[in-house]
Amino acid sequence: MNSLITLFWKELRELLRDRKTLFGIIVVPLLLYPLMGAGINVSRSSVEQAVARATIAVMDLDGSPESQSLTLFLTMKVRVKPLQRQSVVEALPSLSEGNYSALILIPQGYGQNLSQGLQACLTVYALLRDLSAVETSRTTTANVLLAAYENALVVERVQGLLANSPLQGLNATSILNPVHVSYSSVLRGKAVDVDPSQLLNIVISQSTFPLIIMVMLILAMQVAATSIALEKEEKTLETLLTLPIGRLTILTGKLAGSVALAGISAIAYLVGFSYYIGSVTGLSSLSGISQADLQALGLLPSPAMYILMGFTIFITVISALALAVSLAVFADNVRSAQSLVGILFIPIMMPALILMFADIGILPSYLQWILYAFPYTHTLLAVKAIFIGDLPVILRSIAYIAVFTIIVLYVAAKIFTTEKVITGRLFARRSRSGK
Amino acid sequence: MSAVEVQSLRKIYGNLTALDGITFQVGEGEIFGLIGPNGAGKTTCLRIVASLIRPTSGSVKVFGRDVVRQDAEVRRIISYLPEEAGAYRNFSGEEYLEFIASFYASDNAERQKMVDEAFHVTGLGERLRDRVGTYSKGMTRRLLIARALGVTPKLAILDEPTGGLDVIHAFHIRNIIKDYATHYGVSVLLSSHNMLEVEYLCQRIALIDGGHIVAEGSPSELKAKYGAQNLEEVFMSATSHE
Repeated sequence: MNSLITLFWKELRELLRDRKTLFGIIVVPLLLYPLMGAGINVSRSSVEQAVARATIAVMDLDGSPESQSLTLFLTMKVRVKPLQRQSVVEALPSLSEGNYSALILIPQGYGQNLSQGLQACLTVYALLRDLSAVETSRTTTANVLLAAYENALVVERVQGLLANSPLQGLNATSILNPVHVSYSSVLRGKAVDVDPSQLLNIVISQSTFPLIIMVMLILAMQVAATSIALEKEEKTLETLLTLPIGRLTILTGKLAGSVALAGISAIAYLVGFSYYIGSVTGLSSLSGISQADLQALGLLPSPAMYILMGFTIFITVISALALAVSLAVFADNVRSAQSLVGILFIPIMMPALILMFADIGILPSYLQWILYAFPYTHTLLAVKAIFIGDLPVILRSIAYIAVFTIIVLYVAAKIFTTEKVITGRLFARRSRSGK
Repeated sequence: MSAVEVQSLRKIYGNLTALDGITFQVGEGEIFGLIGPNGAGKTTCLRIVASLIRPTSGSVKVFGRDVVRQDAEVRRIISYLPEEAGAYRNFSGEEYLEFIASFYASDNAERQKMVDEAFHVTGLGERLRDRVGTYSKGMTRRLLIARALGVTPKLAILDEPTGGLDVIHAFHIRNIIKDYATHYGVSVLLSSHNMLEVEYLCQRIALIDGGHIVAEGSPSELKAKYGAQNLEEVFMSATSHE
């Protein structure tokens, strides 16, 4: 046991002190996603600030109480620059230099038309500097404000009409919006009063969860392969294998070190990823949905289910590490070990990408069988089933992964306890005679 | 009891016969050298004695323990220094010595004693607190020799212990090996290209070529037998390369 602990700490220290490893599996995931999220945040807040700072120019050629009322409404919402009466062609060049987002032209007769119940016209000149998102957002401000003003006018008019009609006493809003829709979400027969669009975050987290597990798996495999390959590259493996330690203890120490490092890496990844998702969706918390709602929808797994999920992920990681170690034994250095392990990324990522968007049951049967053949498909199926509490699927998937893990561990132990660990090379060079 | 007893040892890799039925013994406390050109089978032989790889046939015993059936016991009493060995480059020299000693020592006091001993043997002083990655080749080799001998094994298996080192580092390492054999009774099985080194260190040697032992005895016996001035001439005569 002491030997195992010593080896475990050695693995952790060696890998954590290796700058390339540290950078690749901890610093990158910790920084990459927050940086992406920060980038999105910066551009979004830039858009918001640019919109808030925008000034709308108003050229009132009408001068009626109605046109002045519109200008006043706009002044209460944004910065407004009243322009002297002149031709639009003359005004536009000077407007393109200031921070103007639009020019609203109120023509003569605007107030008269309105007061007579006729349709009044306005012209909006959107002042674009380029075709970026900031510019298009800035120019929509005038549209939004005019729509709000128009809505207020409509309500006022309807209210006025109602006052002189038999429907006196009715609310204008109920006339304009006679149907009010309230939403409930029903999942597997359980209903809660939540707009399905509010479930967006849950859907995102559930669909990206399998991807996160698979990325973690790949990281763990890279760590394990690096661990073995470093021993070969740095010429320390032969010494290690002649120390008074069992070969299986060495293997276990390597797997344990890699699991621990992969765990640290996964945390770094999750932290970075959740920040990124929060930035992208603008919903860093499950706003509007209570824990009780989630419980009612069956989207909050029980503690027992969480334990099953932990166990599933654990045996999956162990099998992936054993696979990586078995392959890395046949490489001479870190680069070739990572290339060899890279072969496994396709069967790992393919089920994750497919099952991220689709349920396995809706796929063509040939694809279903191909996916069922991949052991890591069952990890994804188990995790999905855990979210909805489907015990038979969970147990069946865990059994499949467990059997696969035992086989892979046996192979790894077999390789490690024979001279293959020293002499094994996938692309063997011809040995010199007698060496 | 012999420190090493090699009997009719054969090792075949695919179509290649690396060792073809070699037999020799190393006495307790003796420094024994395996001498031969590249590809003669020296490293294969040392790896088998160190229980790293298995013989195709024949037997190898270390202090009476079979290297195949009792490999775990063999590993408790040997220390092996491969020809191209390294140390963990992100460890300090001191951490590396502590790491190795922790597998041989039964308690912390014994471990510290081993580390102190190895610390002294390296002659690296305060540089032992630096990362191994900053060491020169000679410094790393001194650290590795100290690692191999500092735990006072019953048998030290040293593959080209001074290979590629300059005169100063090689001199230091040869003295350490001799010192351990003399003062601690450590038996040594080593391989070398350097005939002067072999003559200085080894009580007995075996000349190996093409997987066969072509001559065996003390350096003086072999020189007398072949009427040679030095071991180089002995080797050339014994292997009919002249």
